[in-house]
Amino acid sequence: MFVPHSEIDLKKMFEELSISSLEDLFTHIPETLKLNDGLNVPPSLSELESIAEFELLESKNTPNLICFAGGGHYDVYLPQTVKSLTMRPEFMTSYTPYQAEISQGILQVLFEYQSLICDLTDMELANASLYDGATSVAEAISVAINKTKRDNVVISSGFNPNTKEVVNTLIDRNKFNTTYVDLVDYLFPEDYVFSQDDAAFVVSLPHYEGSAQDLTSIVQNAKAAGVITICYADPSMLGILKSPGSMGFDIVVSEGQSMGSSLSFGGPTVGWFATRKELARLVPGRIIGESRDSNNTKTYVMTLRAREQDIRREKASSNICTNQTLNAVGSTIHLSWLGPEGLYEIGYQAIQKASYMKQALIENGFTVLNNNTSLREFLIQTKRLAEDVILEMGSKGFLAGIKYSDNEILIAVTEKRTREQIDNYVESLMEVDNA
Amino acid sequence: MHSGGNASSLPLVGGAPEPTINQLSKPGRRASRFPKLDVPVSEINNSAIRHDKPTLPEVSEHDLVMHYSRLAHRNFAVDVGFYPLGSCTMKYNPRFADFVAGLNTFANSHPATPAAFTQGNLEVLHELEKFLIEITGMDDATFQPPAGASGELTGLLIIKKYLEENNLSNKTDIIVPDSAHGTNPASAKMAGFNVVEVSTDIRGMVNIEDLKGLVNENTAGLMLTNPNTGGLFEENIMEISNIIHENGGLVYYDGANLNAIVGVCRPGDMGFDIVHSNLHKTFATPHGGGGPGSGPVAVKSFLKEYLPGPIVNKTDNKFEWYMPKLSIGRMHGYHGNFLVALRALVYMKLLGKEGLDTLGSYAVLNARYLSSIISKVIPLAYNEPCMHEFVATVKHLKKSHKIKAYDVGKALLDKGFHSPTIYFPLIIEEALMFEPTETQTVDTLDDLAETLKVIIDELQGDDVSLESYPKNLPVGRPNELIPAKHLTVNWGDFELLELTE
Repeated sequence: MFVPHSEIDLKKMFEELSISSLEDLFTHIPETLKLNDGLNVPPSLSELESIAEFELLESKNTPNLICFAGGGHYDVYLPQTVKSLTMRPEFMTSYTPYQAEISQGILQVLFEYQSLICDLTDMELANASLYDGATSVAEAISVAINKTKRDNVVISSGFNPNTKEVVNTLIDRNKFNTTYVDLVDYLFPEDYVFSQDDAAFVVSLPHYEGSAQDLTSIVQNAKAAGVITICYADPSMLGILKSPGSMGFDIVVSEGQSMGSSLSFGGPTVGWFATRKELARLVPGRIIGESRDSNNTKTYVMTLRAREQDIRREKASSNICTNQTLNAVGSTIHLSWLGPEGLYEIGYQAIQKASYMKQALIENGFTVLNNNTSLREFLIQTKRLAEDVILEMGSKGFLAGIKYSDNEILIAVTEKRTREQIDNYVESLMEVDNA
Repeated sequence: MHSGGNASSLPLVGGAPEPTINQLSKPGRRASRFPKLDVPVSEINNSAIRHDKPTLPEVSEHDLVMHYSRLAHRNFAVDVGFYPLGSCTMKYNPRFADFVAGLNTFANSHPATPAAFTQGNLEVLHELEKFLIEITGMDDATFQPPAGASGELTGLLIIKKYLEENNLSNKTDIIVPDSAHGTNPASAKMAGFNVVEVSTDIRGMVNIEDLKGLVNENTAGLMLTNPNTGGLFEENIMEISNIIHENGGLVYYDGANLNAIVGVCRPGDMGFDIVHSNLHKTFATPHGGGGPGSGPVAVKSFLKEYLPGPIVNKTDNKFEWYMPKLSIGRMHGYHGNFLVALRALVYMKLLGKEGLDTLGSYAVLNARYLSSIISKVIPLAYNEPCMHEFVATVKHLKKSHKIKAYDVGKALLDKGFHSPTIYFPLIIEEALMFEPTETQTVDTLDDLAETLKVIIDELQGDDVSLESYPKNLPVGRPNELIPAKHLTVNWGDFELLELTE
């Protein structure tokens, strides 16, 4: 399959190599290592046969659950235009653009990607993508540790628990200490006192629980203590929220799924990473720059290469090589499709619809725990176990949200949800939770 | 010569530079439209809300489509030409896998959806795990790592945790060949190990005597590709893994070169304890201009409980998430690059037994054939039978005509081929590393060798300006000095004037 050789081709190649079979290629491999009977795997399928097999497999997922789950990944509308342009084979099947002369397409898209992210976050320098939001948080913390040579990391507890687990896995806790600071009434405490041992302050905008606050004064306090400030921002809300740069942050990272990638069961998506020029040397991953060719024509190239693993080896700023370029292409095209009005509208409609939903829930006897400070995502209390509520809501056609604790569910609303869906959700939830 | 990767029909379109999407922006234009808000408007009171619109380009949908289509025309890809790019396994990516990855619930499941509603997705990972552990000769796997380097880090963190649990934290050295990929030492450093380099012998393989001298009570493990980055099979692999095991270390297989041995032999039978695979190389998922990849890690059963999770467990015809008891934690926000894993499963099912049993053999056949015909044009670095890739060198041409590997690569671009990997492995002077993969025809391989001969003759001509190559592409050779001194990394014309490379 996909091997193109005819019998005539094989004869020609065998003659060139003076061999008579494929086995003759491996006379130098110890006999004891060879697989004499081959692999124990099923027989080959034609494309036609495997369509049925994969459609059957796909049908084992519950179809068309109306999505009220968020936590970093949002059911934002992904336009066909964005999908089909991103999947152009010249983008999709190309390699890393080491050869600038034949990679101007990808290089320019990535240059545009970096620029769009800088504009949106008010930063000066973005890289060409990291794996996802969670790993980007860990990479940003590493930058802060390397810059400050300090060993304590202050992290808001208002993060997706998976993100915290990734941080705990990737940051060596034999060497560095992580201090998780509890939110007070779902907001980061304005009076938190930073110390001279703190390398980084990491906070989410909005918090995982959905509440948001202007973080300017907290960032000022952190910076006064020499701390590198890191904002984990929700890109689909950046059209309506103050930019992290305007609040003074040093580094902005994001889970970029909602801009250009389908939900994809969580991957592949893209991690955004942007910062200020002072930290350029410590930035992980690839950076694209604009240069000139020998005829003085505008030419994009990979730049600041002396940070990267293929050149710097164990002294590199990160081990990242393969990244999430195609998803970054998706972010670029999606942001350009949206424009300022579209990105604003995504955030505005999500917040309005969430307000309507919170009101409806409250009117029907539910408690919204962070009604006043939440925007598009919020926490509700359930009488029954959250896990059971979510499972039963599933049989009514809803992905009800994410279990937050035994009796709390985190609900997210996007611009895609309709009034009718929200009304039906509230009605179903009453039935399920009061059962 | 007429081949699928035909050199004489140039695949890229040039002309004047394409403006940026920002330069195409005009106030008041837009591509996006949304339904009217269908709920009553409430007042939004929050100190984090902005009172102006964000800065983004304003373009029509047609302008947007033309712009990105024109950029696509300036990009080389597997679908338009031949990449003989060593170490990267740029094989054909079946279109059918993209169709499957686009099926509704595969593409659109929220990652926090409970397992009860995503049994199909969990079964995908379970099925793929079965293929993967059979191909690599291991016992259990995780799909958390989103790329090869993340798989390496996963493996190293497993080694670290395993040593801690066994009160062997004194073991802090990871041995890496001097021919290794840069990610190996970078990952070892990230995991908190010391990197110890073992040299390569004259035949191009791990220097066993040197290895014996380096191994001691501090040895935590060894990272190795087999075949190695010179494209040679490490014939003494059993002795190498025994040396490490006898000293209480673990042996890690860097799966970058797995394509050479699929169906031929297995890392698990060579003494490797941990293996990562690059699904975007060996299992034909598209590279996407640099990613996404997927770097699943497979281990021998004694390491299963250290895997990052959750991983999929099957119980009574039901699939569940399971967090291994001694897990190193999580390498990804959710389940790794699921849609990449799905594409790899599609590829494996299409190949099946007949395709997978011969996959490595055909990859090696193409490389061996190409090495034979290219050796008539430029010398090979090693006088050994190559596996799926091989290294040639132009150090003689550098001496006689100042022609560097870089120049040969650039001239090849002009003829419709991607350059081979150059200057890698680092231990070979003026290296050109070729990996044809099994999906190229013999005509295309012949075409490459003939073209190589033509350009090397041409470059040796009297009045040749090496810097003028390539000549027929959208842009010429980039000026390497400008980005060092005046680095523009966004369209705001921001310059990092103080930086030099």
